[in-house]
Amino acid sequence: MDGKQKLMATAARAGILLMACVIGVALSAPPEKGSTNDIPGELPGIHMVSPAAAGQWTMPAGDYGNTRFSPLNQINAQNVKNLHVVSTMSTGIPHGHEGQPLVVNDTMYVVTPFPNNLIALDLTKAGFPQKWIFHPNPNIAAVGVACCDVVNRGASYADGKIIYNTLDDHTVAVDAKTGKLVWETAVGDIKFGETTTMAAVVVKNVVLVGDSGAELGVRGRVTALDVNTGKILWRAFNSGSDADARIGPDFKPFYAKDRGKDLGLTTWNPGQWKLGGGTVWGWISYDPELNLIYYGTGNPGVWNPDMRPGDNKWSITIWARNPETGYAKWAFQVVPHDSWDYDEIMENVLVDMPWQGKTRKLLIHPGRTGFVFVLDRETGEVLSADKFEPVNWAKGFNLKTGLPDIDPEKRSHTGHYAMHVCPSSTGGKEFVPSSFSPRTGYLYIPAHNTCMDYMGTSVNYIAGTPYLGATVRMYPGPGGYQGELMAWDVANKKKVWSIKDADLPVYSGVLTTGGDVVFYGTMEGWFRAVDAHSGKILWEFKISSGIVGNPTTFLGPDGKQYVAIYSGVGGWMGATALPSVSTDDPYAALGTVGAMKQIKAKTQPGDTLYVFGL
Amino acid sequence: MFSVSRLRARHASPLQHAAHTHASLIAFLSILAGVLVAATMGCQTVSKPVAASSSPPVPTAIGPIPGPPVNLPGRANPLVGDPVALQDGRRLFDWYNCSGCHGGHAGGGMGPSLRDKVWLYGHKDDQIFDSIAAGRSKGMPSWGTKIPEHQIWELVAYIKSMGTTQEPDPPVEPADEMVPDPTGKTPSPEEVQ
Repeated sequence: MDGKQKLMATAARAGILLMACVIGVALSAPPEKGSTNDIPGELPGIHMVSPAAAGQWTMPAGDYGNTRFSPLNQINAQNVKNLHVVSTMSTGIPHGHEGQPLVVNDTMYVVTPFPNNLIALDLTKAGFPQKWIFHPNPNIAAVGVACCDVVNRGASYADGKIIYNTLDDHTVAVDAKTGKLVWETAVGDIKFGETTTMAAVVVKNVVLVGDSGAELGVRGRVTALDVNTGKILWRAFNSGSDADARIGPDFKPFYAKDRGKDLGLTTWNPGQWKLGGGTVWGWISYDPELNLIYYGTGNPGVWNPDMRPGDNKWSITIWARNPETGYAKWAFQVVPHDSWDYDEIMENVLVDMPWQGKTRKLLIHPGRTGFVFVLDRETGEVLSADKFEPVNWAKGFNLKTGLPDIDPEKRSHTGHYAMHVCPSSTGGKEFVPSSFSPRTGYLYIPAHNTCMDYMGTSVNYIAGTPYLGATVRMYPGPGGYQGELMAWDVANKKKVWSIKDADLPVYSGVLTTGGDVVFYGTMEGWFRAVDAHSGKILWEFKISSGIVGNPTTFLGPDGKQYVAIYSGVGGWMGATALPSVSTDDPYAALGTVGAMKQIKAKTQPGDTLYVFGL
Repeated sequence: MFSVSRLRARHASPLQHAAHTHASLIAFLSILAGVLVAATMGCQTVSKPVAASSSPPVPTAIGPIPGPPVNLPGRANPLVGDPVALQDGRRLFDWYNCSGCHGGHAGGGMGPSLRDKVWLYGHKDDQIFDSIAAGRSKGMPSWGTKIPEHQIWELVAYIKSMGTTQEPDPPVEPADEMVPDPTGKTPSPEEVQ
């Protein structure tokens, strides 16, 4: 190496160093452009809601846009085969581990299923030892009113606090450094069958909390709390008067069917709205530029449609609201007068991208109904609705009216079975969140293929007990598979590739990265890395129990990229794996057992966090 | 203890006091021993020294008594083998929303399966009755004030029939053409777009 070569080598090294610094800066503080930021390698015209997940994971989806995309790229398609276990930790609670850990600065935070302990792990030390554990001590009676296992879907970090919900309807804010309780607010009451499983989301100084329990005659709502004090700021119900629903003069739904006075009262038989369900147990998105939050609502109560004639607003509705006042900007009821339990609480993925020749602000919603909906998130107009799994309850969607073209044969009634309805209540996908990569333009959907027989039955309302009114039996759908991870080309409205699972649904969330690797898990317990472009499985590792949680990725204090996932089967479809559910009753666990018979032979309950690295 | 204080002199010398204390201690120990013996022999003997004093009687023990097992009279279901009770129990299982929690045929869900061999709080008639009437801590409501005793026994009869040839069908099981496909046959791909 002569002097010139040395100089060049030094310059090259400096260049690499400079690039590394730039990337490092880019990862710690992504450049912002309006409400969007530039992701290295993103397709032309695609912009994401800022900030991107980058090196930490401070909110449930990693970003406000709910893309679950991280630009981290140390782990890529070439080297992912070298991934190995860096640390494991048992939570000691063998129930469904839905949700995902947070990473803030040098600490990882894990919220367990009931009793909802918060465990802090020190990422600066080998093996990530426990720093502290916080016990909120929720009321054990909450276990008896939780519809679908005793799950929790995670926490948010804001203002020095880890904020999350307990099964017995308390929102707690815990000092992120000390593990001491800062404030605690009751947001519901288990006496009336209310539970809280969703992950709180913090926008500015507002903590947004939903609810669960539409199988017990509760009234769905979002409660907004002050991030500093926990004081309730506003509450927006999904049934009742316009005042209760926080519908004011700014409310401009795109479709005529969603306009009118007090629809939350007039689209029900008298009084039924009080037991009307429409809970908010999924994910909340936020667009900082439009200053709107987006979320979907659950099934109307009771499950028997004959007991609640009318459209049953605002069940199964996507809302756009101002986070500070709570007032609605628009609403789109996806399914009027639900007869299948098609909750649409799924993630709303916010992306700006070219759509039929023009860049539009999109809201992408892959739903239980079996359709991928693409909406204009400024107006609530449905731009497309395309089936992504076998669907026969509706022939299609009328984009002019915003209404599904329902097959009346597939609508159940009291004492009458609707036979062979696809998808089943658990949907073309469940709450388990998809991920969008701006580098491919694909939405990676964890999908199901199950069908059902569904009959309405009469039922009495007894506070704090199930208010179900249906007999449901599910079974595998057509085509010889029960689940698949699919890449869905959003702009071209079609499936690009998929990895099928013959025996079980895909019930884990999905993560995409700047390394063009897609991470997800199977209910049997295989944690996988997949090529984002081709769908080729690049790496897989069998963890201790089925996966129903969501993968996350972060940069450790050592500057290295890690990937985290929970093992621990459970949740609604996973409940059949738990010892308290028998497989000789296809109607058990709200009808899912018939489709999940194989699970006990494939996995057992678990309770472990896994962290992988290169 | 009641008898110890009565043995103690009001104005005693240190020596007397010591002697009295000694006597008190012996008296106390002997009474204690008596109580212990009485306890192991059964409740009735406990009341004897009490009856000799002016103090209030010791209440009869409720609940488990320390010592060897005692055969308390159990409550058997008065409706055992009654086919009407089984049918009524099946109907009430839906009527009181038991099926919502425990599953359409009691295979579990929000609440545990009642079909399997695991009984968290006992499988005897009176234990199942108590689970329904008094409730259990993990969310089983207490129904004792809401469901008449006769109906609780009907529910117990139905629960105990599960998995046997006596198990009744659900009351709303539909007519022939509405019976769910017993083979679990799924629609063909042509049927579903």
